Amino acid sequence: MYNAWTVKHKPRTLSEIVGNEESIRILTSWINSWSEAVPKKRAAFLYGPPGVGKTVAVEALANDLKMELVEKNASDSRTAEAVQRFAGLASQYGTLSGGKRVVLLDELDGITGTADRGGVRAVIEAIKTARFPVVLTANNAYDPRFSTLRRYCLLVEFKKPTIFQVIKRLKKICVKEEIMAADAALKLIAERSGRDVRSAINDLQTLTQGRKQLTYEDVAWLAERDRKEVIFNVLRTIFYAKDCTEAKRAIDSASMDVDMLFQWVYENAPYQLTDPRDLVEAMEALAEADVYRGRIRATQNWKLLRYVLDFMTAGVAMSRRRTKPSGWVPFRFPERIQWLSRTKKERQMRKLIGMKIRRKMHVSSVRAVKEILPYIRVIFEDNAEMATGIAKWLDFDQDMIGYLAGSKGRAKAIVAKLE
Amino acid sequence: MSYEMWVEKYRPRSLNEMVNQKEIVERLNSFVKTRNIPHCIFAGPPGTGKTTGALCLAHDLYGEGFREHLMELNASDERGINVVRETVKTFARTRSIGEIPFKIMILDEADNMTSDAQQALRRTMERFTETCRFILICNYSGKIIEPIQSRCAPFRFSYLSREDQHSYLQQIIQKENVNMLDAGLTAVFEVSGGDLRRTVNTVQAAASSGKPIDAETVYSVVGRANPADVREMMIIAMKGDFVGARKKLREMILKYGLAGSDIIRQIHIEIFRSDVPERWKIRLADAIGEVDFRLIQGADEEIQLSALLARLTEAGYEMQRGA
Repeated sequence: MYNAWTVKHKPRTLSEIVGNEESIRILTSWINSWSEAVPKKRAAFLYGPPGVGKTVAVEALANDLKMELVEKNASDSRTAEAVQRFAGLASQYGTLSGGKRVVLLDELDGITGTADRGGVRAVIEAIKTARFPVVLTANNAYDPRFSTLRRYCLLVEFKKPTIFQVIKRLKKICVKEEIMAADAALKLIAERSGRDVRSAINDLQTLTQGRKQLTYEDVAWLAERDRKEVIFNVLRTIFYAKDCTEAKRAIDSASMDVDMLFQWVYENAPYQLTDPRDLVEAMEALAEADVYRGRIRATQNWKLLRYVLDFMTAGVAMSRRRTKPSGWVPFRFPERIQWLSRTKKERQMRKLIGMKIRRKMHVSSVRAVKEILPYIRVIFEDNAEMATGIAKWLDFDQDMIGYLAGSKGRAKAIVAKLE
Repeated sequence: MSYEMWVEKYRPRSLNEMVNQKEIVERLNSFVKTRNIPHCIFAGPPGTGKTTGALCLAHDLYGEGFREHLMELNASDERGINVVRETVKTFARTRSIGEIPFKIMILDEADNMTSDAQQALRRTMERFTETCRFILICNYSGKIIEPIQSRCAPFRFSYLSREDQHSYLQQIIQKENVNMLDAGLTAVFEVSGGDLRRTVNTVQAAASSGKPIDAETVYSVVGRANPADVREMMIIAMKGDFVGARKKLREMILKYGLAGSDIIRQIHIEIFRSDVPERWKIRLADAIGEVDFRLIQGADEEIQLSALLARLTEAGYEMQRGA
């Protein structure tokens, strides 16, 4: 089972959190003030860019103060009613265990769509009567939709950590995961992430997949293209789009090679869509896109590209119906591309053999490789006599004989007979 | 035993030597008699005598020196507009010396040409009809553009019957002293499915072991020619590990250079041999057929086959739920 480091290495206590010391101090003293009397502002509104630790801070704080944390991600409760019901927890008396409680309404930006009209109002109503601290988070507190809401809240800004702080965090994880990482490599990851800790940790995990060392060069491929960020964003949009239009828009934002993007989507589909029924639909959509690619090749009619795009974006996006959400799954570099480069030598050799066969046997070299070469290989393994004859007839060189014979001993025997 | 590829050694030289496609051979013979041929399209599956038919026709028409009047071009190796423009034109426009006033251009795997290249070809065909006749060879005539099709006489080749293959194999078995057992022969026909090239290659590879050929030898040749285990890949997929199965597939295609059409054929065989519920077999056969068709049309092998693997994964999941 895949285990995201952002979850695995999440700070459990405030002392482990890097950066935003002042904001956390304000938040802590506000929560502490509840034990004396209900403060004037019954809600704290934490705002700041993604991945700076807003949610983590609240979770660690609740843990440190031994408070029960009731948490709801606002973007998955779509109606005002649901928000209200949840926020109502803040006004109820007492917790089950008789302890203190913090109510966290996460990612408030997510409830402001048209479907959630009244969502913000429901939050305000809940705050007015709250008997426990309510904490809200959002990327932008100054969104006009929050103008009324702001009056009821203590505004706490979370800023991006410094590069140094991000590096420090990455180093701690490397120690725990027993990874030897070059300082320069970590610095590059931190810089590339735009000081987004979550994204930096995801990158670190992706880059160290299956190895225990990380050099500057390993990370450099990130540097050579900011494309990665573009690709990841596009993939995120495609795999999590709510409707076709949104999914298709992913392509507009990317001035990216369609074939390359296709490989990324194709590689990542099974990791993102884990329910077999969803996966089969996504793979079918990709296969359909591929059929249209073939039609473009055959007709050179690039108008058909729009259907390729439909299937590889919207087609894949609409496949997500039954896969259970399992948190953030990092995107993987297309393995097929690595394979292509790894098997290059062998394919090159087969191609050369195919050219030799083609000359004598009235087939294309491609077909020769697929339809004739496999049998020649069997003969080369079984019958040095016959192999020698064929090698002579088809004018194979030593390398080709070596490849076909499969073992050095057999190849030697054939070459000796040839001479 | 002789030491070259038997497919080539025993390729018929003259139309009379061809064992199959009787009606086609008859029509081609009538061309030979009138000493004139139209542009032709030879369409049909691999290993059914298309290229051989074209070579035999040229041989019978021009006699032993037929190679001087003939050019063979393989569109898969040399496709593209420029090749058609240059090579074809240079060849097509010069008049043939001898009593037959035209040359023959064999364009193999013509269905792999882009439509632009085909358009260019069409003009060349028209311009040089006097001096050059074209024989376009393809698996699937639907991929030849309409204007070319309408200018050509169509010939449809089909898979060989067991009888036809048998009579052809008989001479090879005798001349090469192959110890072929009946069960081995049946197995050869089963695995080659009417593709004579595959039949002969299988027999030669099996004979190279020097032992009497029984069914076991034949299956082992097929297995070794296709070293990756298709069955294992299917089991992995059906157990729910799509990613693992896809990796196997990638290995087959990229590492061993297996043809998608071979993999799909084996999947098809394995499905009916397997113990999946009967109604699932036929459902999956439909999916397999669709992928096969797409591959014929030139779709990407890994993408299409892994879509099929996803189907197997889904099927495995549904079967477990008792659907």
